Amino acid sequence: MQRLFLIFLAAFLINNILLIKFIGLCPFLGVSSRFDTSIGMSMAVIFVMTLASMACWGVWNLLLDPLGVGDFLYIPAFILVIAALVQFIEMVIKKVSPTLFKALGIFLPLITTNCAVLAAATESVKPGFWKLSLEYNYGLGEALVYTIGIALGFSMVIIMFAAMRERIEIAPIPHSLKGIPIAFIAAGLSSLAFLGFKGLFGI
Amino acid sequence: MDTSIIIKAALILGGTGLVLGALLAVASKIFYVEVDPKVELIREALPGANCGACGYPGCDGLAEVIAKGEAPPSACVAGGAEIAKQIAAILGIEVKEEKVAKKALVRCGGGKNEVAHRYIYDGELDCEMAQQIGKGPSLCSYGCLGFGSCAAACPFGAIVMGEDGLPNIDWHKCRSCGVCVEVCPRGIITLVPEDKKVHVLCCSQDKGKDVRSICKKGCIGCKACEKICEFDAIHVVDNLASIDNDKCTQCKKCVEKCPTGCISVLLKGHHSVEEVAGTV
Repeated sequence: MQRLFLIFLAAFLINNILLIKFIGLCPFLGVSSRFDTSIGMSMAVIFVMTLASMACWGVWNLLLDPLGVGDFLYIPAFILVIAALVQFIEMVIKKVSPTLFKALGIFLPLITTNCAVLAAATESVKPGFWKLSLEYNYGLGEALVYTIGIALGFSMVIIMFAAMRERIEIAPIPHSLKGIPIAFIAAGLSSLAFLGFKGLFGI
Repeated sequence: MDTSIIIKAALILGGTGLVLGALLAVASKIFYVEVDPKVELIREALPGANCGACGYPGCDGLAEVIAKGEAPPSACVAGGAEIAKQIAAILGIEVKEEKVAKKALVRCGGGKNEVAHRYIYDGELDCEMAQQIGKGPSLCSYGCLGFGSCAAACPFGAIVMGEDGLPNIDWHKCRSCGVCVEVCPRGIITLVPEDKKVHVLCCSQDKGKDVRSICKKGCIGCKACEKICEFDAIHVVDNLASIDNDKCTQCKKCVEKCPTGCISVLLKGHHSVEEVAGTV
C-alpha cells in the first residue's frame, strides 16, 4: 500500500509530467487559456491515458515481451494501439452517451497522438526512462496507479495554469509579453516551484 | 545476420495493425450513429461564419435546431431572406414573412479631421482598451474612437477603416449579425433597415456649444430639422436629433436644413457607405 502511494506521489508531484518532465507542452500551452476548456481536456486526458496505458501494458506483456521484440518495437506498437483505441472509444461514446461525447468530443482526437499519453504508456511498462529512484515492477496494479498519478498531475497543472492565465489576461503586463511569452514565464516559475517537491519522502 | 527478428517484427506490427483495423471497421458498423441528412444540407446553406447572432452555438448548432423544427428557417440573422428561402426549400415549407434586411450603420461623422485628441494614445489598437484610459483619447466622449475594433471583429470582412479614421461598412457584405454593435465600446453602431437612407450621424448628447467646440459635424440640437419636418418624424431629445424610421418618408428636407451636416442621406457620399454608392 505504501509503495503504491509513493508511486502515485512520484508520478503526481515529484516527476510531474508537465512541469518537471516537460512532456505534452502543446496542450499545456494551447488549451490552458480558458478554464472550462482546460477542465474538458483534463477529463479526456485522465480517461484516455488510463485506458491507453492499460492496453499498452497488455500488448507489452502478452505480445511484445514474450516474443522478444519489445525493446525496439514498443514505440510504433504503442502508437498503433493508442490511436486505434482512441478511435474506438470515440465511436463507442458517440453511440452510448451523447452527453459525454459533447463534453469530451473535440478533445479526444486531439490527444490521439499526444506525447504525454505515449510517455505515460511507455513508462508504465518500461520504467527507468524517468529514473524514479523507486523499485517498481511491471505489475498491472502499479502501472495503473502510476498512470492515474501522471494523468491527475497533468490535470492539476493544466487547470491551475488556466486559472492563472485567466488572471494574467487582465493583469497590467508589458504589451510585448502578452499572450504566450508571459505563459512561458509563468510555466518556468511554476516549474521552479515544483522542483521543491524533489526529495519528498526520499523519492 | 539474423533476419528472423526483422520478419518477426514486421509480422507482429502488421498483424496488430490488421487486427485493429478490422476491429475498427466492425466497430464503425456497430456503433454507427445516424445523422439527419437535413442537418448537413442546412449546414451547407448557412453562411458558416459562426457569428453566433442567432443565439445558438455556431452554424452547426443552428442547423441541428432548425432540422428539429425548434427554430424557424429564418433564424439565421446574418443569412437574410435568401438563405431563409433555401433552408425552407430543404425543409419543404414556406417562409412566412419577408423581413426588410437590416444593415449596420456607424452613427458618427467625426473622423480624424473633425475631432481632435486630448492625448496621444500609444497602446494596442483596440477601442475597448483605449476607452478604458481616461474614457478614450477622442475629445468627443460619444463618437467613434477609430481604432477599428469593429473592423477586426466583423466575421464577414465588411468593415474597413477609412482614411478619415472612421469605419467604412460595405452594405453588400454586411449581414446584420450585430457583432460590431456589441464590440463597439461606445455603442455608436446600430442596425438600420436597408431601405431607410436618412440618418442622424451623431450620438453626442453634449450641449450644442460644447459639440461645436470639439466637432465640426456633430449634432448641436438646434431643432431646425424638427421644425422643418412635415411628418413629425424628427425629435431632438437630450440635445440629439433622432429620426423615427416609421414616420420618415425620405423627403430629405432635414438634410438640406441641417447646419452642421450631421443628417445624411446614405448612398450620397457618406463615409460609411461611400463604397456602396460606388458599387450600386
